[in-house]
Amino acid sequence: MKKKVLATLLSAAMVATLIAGCGSQEAAAPAPEAPAEEAPAEEAPADDAAEAPAEEPAADGAAAGGDYSFEIIVKSYQSSYWQAAVTGVNQKAEELGVKVNCTGPNAESDIADQVNMLNNAINAAPNGIGLAACDQDACLDSLQTALDKGIPVVCFDSGIPDAPDGSVYATVATDNYAAGATAAENLYPALKDKIASATAPVRIGEVNQEATSESITSRGLGFIDKFAELASADGKTVAVIGNEYYVNNCKDKGDEASADVIIEVAVPAQTTVELCATEASVILNKADTIGMFGSNQVAAEGILTANENLDVLGTDPASSILAAGFDAGSVIKGAITSGKMFGAVTQSPLAMGQTTVEILTKIANGETVSDVPTQGYWYDSTNMEDNSIAPNLYD
Amino acid sequence: MGKNKSVISRLGGQKFIVLLVVIGLILFFSAVSPDFRKYTTVMSILDYSYYIALMAIGVTFPLITGGVDLSIGTGLICYSLTGGFLIVQKGWPVWAGILVTLLLSITIGLLNGVLVSVMDLPPFLATLCTCMITRGLGSIFSKGFGISWPTSGAPGSWFRNIFKITVNGTKIPLGFLWVLLLVVLMAFVLNHTKIGRYTIAIGSNKEATILSGINVRFYHIMAYVISGFFAGLAAIAYSAVFSTVQPGTGAGFELEAIGGAIIGGVSASGGFGSIEGSLIGVFVICLLKTGLPYIGLQANWQQIITGLVLISAVMVDIMKRKKETA
Repeated sequence: MKKKVLATLLSAAMVATLIAGCGSQEAAAPAPEAPAEEAPAEEAPADDAAEAPAEEPAADGAAAGGDYSFEIIVKSYQSSYWQAAVTGVNQKAEELGVKVNCTGPNAESDIADQVNMLNNAINAAPNGIGLAACDQDACLDSLQTALDKGIPVVCFDSGIPDAPDGSVYATVATDNYAAGATAAENLYPALKDKIASATAPVRIGEVNQEATSESITSRGLGFIDKFAELASADGKTVAVIGNEYYVNNCKDKGDEASADVIIEVAVPAQTTVELCATEASVILNKADTIGMFGSNQVAAEGILTANENLDVLGTDPASSILAAGFDAGSVIKGAITSGKMFGAVTQSPLAMGQTTVEILTKIANGETVSDVPTQGYWYDSTNMEDNSIAPNLYD
Repeated sequence: MGKNKSVISRLGGQKFIVLLVVIGLILFFSAVSPDFRKYTTVMSILDYSYYIALMAIGVTFPLITGGVDLSIGTGLICYSLTGGFLIVQKGWPVWAGILVTLLLSITIGLLNGVLVSVMDLPPFLATLCTCMITRGLGSIFSKGFGISWPTSGAPGSWFRNIFKITVNGTKIPLGFLWVLLLVVLMAFVLNHTKIGRYTIAIGSNKEATILSGINVRFYHIMAYVISGFFAGLAAIAYSAVFSTVQPGTGAGFELEAIGGAIIGGVSASGGFGSIEGSLIGVFVICLLKTGLPYIGLQANWQQIITGLVLISAVMVDIMKRKKETA
């Protein structure tokens, strides 16, 4: 894989140099119109990104985008999540005709290695740097250096809230609140009839591995608020019970005594699968439970672990509880394929990679940019193989 | 009252009390929550208890020597990550992955034993170091990512049947049988073999044991090897029940096992304890962990209550010892 990417990059670079040498006057022309808000994943099937002929797009891009070079640093090189991000980066680079150099440490925990890579990237004096920081604080000094040297940085996947003013031009990261809402938008229609015909209150469970991080709480609240909104629109009253943080921070916690739909939020004492499973068991065991949502891989797998003994999950709302998950991984993917899990929301590393290169090019072109929230995509057994979804489903 | 009799009654006494606590907890949770009475809940409690029970059986040995093994929790995750990595990423057969898991656990146990017994490091410190080492090692072996062992139904998922089989649609907690057999086996080892007797001897009076010409080093190391090996078994149980293993986790598992052992009557300062007591103690922890959410108690309260139960168990131990020396 690495070799192939390298070969593609090298050939792209060679062709780009050739063309740049022939007619570099056009280099300053603005980049082709490509609004960042669009989900680029849908435009370009990723299947053969690495094999794609480099000549053509490079030629197009050089004419339009100039021979910029960007350094891209991912959190690590080993998971398919990051491989998908790198695929997105390379796709967009070919499309825009820019040079990219992707690096990343062995593991997401190799923070010092990544800082080294960032420093090396700064020394290479590129037109911009795309950074998925392993650690929010470790990169601050390097970012100051980048700022001093006038090298723009775009963060992707994770933001750096304390970055020196002006060093980070934009952050490309999943809008977790919207991603949580996506789960509700897809789960609710499947349960709608059951909720409408219910004679007694029904229960929706939500397992969040904690109540402290931005990503998890946003997803949890996004799901609660959207589900409540959809149910209210159909004339049902909703109450939120369980973990205090989520109850107090959702839009409307309602009244449990009179509610038609009860959303019960469980948070384990620690972020481990077995505690998530215990919490999930409790809700899955209740006779009035009709739906579940696990807001990350651990929580979703906790629900599946609980179901190993309970056997109550399925895809038919009449006879089973419908569970929605988050992220991918072989356990969740397997459960969706086998019909144990109704579906899940995946983040879009592919789109993140593409958008990052796009924004870097815009910055190099002198355009103003702003943060880009990327979408979460719903997937279930019907669309797992789609070109727009499959590259985002990492093991 | 003869001293022998008091020791026996003390050991049997605490075990008996704890057994009553276990029964009391079961009755209480069953009375309050109808869902708790379901067979599936029993299955879940047993499923989630195997890895703690196995760790507790093993850690009872270092505890009885007057030491402790803090590395079993992160060790469990490290062994499981390593075995799982070889199976899932490298395509090794499952049995080979399990073998490596166990060999690695024995190696870390041996390292603990050497640090404590030969290098004379305080057990707390030595195993704290290996706790950190295994935590880092796990992340390195798995390249920093979670590993999912073969899920049920997938090729290579036979190892799950070690712990649970389905007969005519009913799930049978086979793992509990193995845990019980291992308890019987290790209780025999503790009470009727040199390894066990010298483990107790080291804990009650190390100097005297050395002076009596026993190869204390060897038997001291063995206590940690047993602890490591059982953490390896626990790693297999954990992988079979929970599938996905996340690097960086595992810290805290050892406290549940150690807490269970101490509730079950292992002296916090070494010298005596029993394997069956440790198992009963583990079930107090597991019942609290599983049962408290059923009565609608938030997670943080569960931890507080588990802590309070542990304090009372240690208090009972201390009070009895005071009475004995008085």
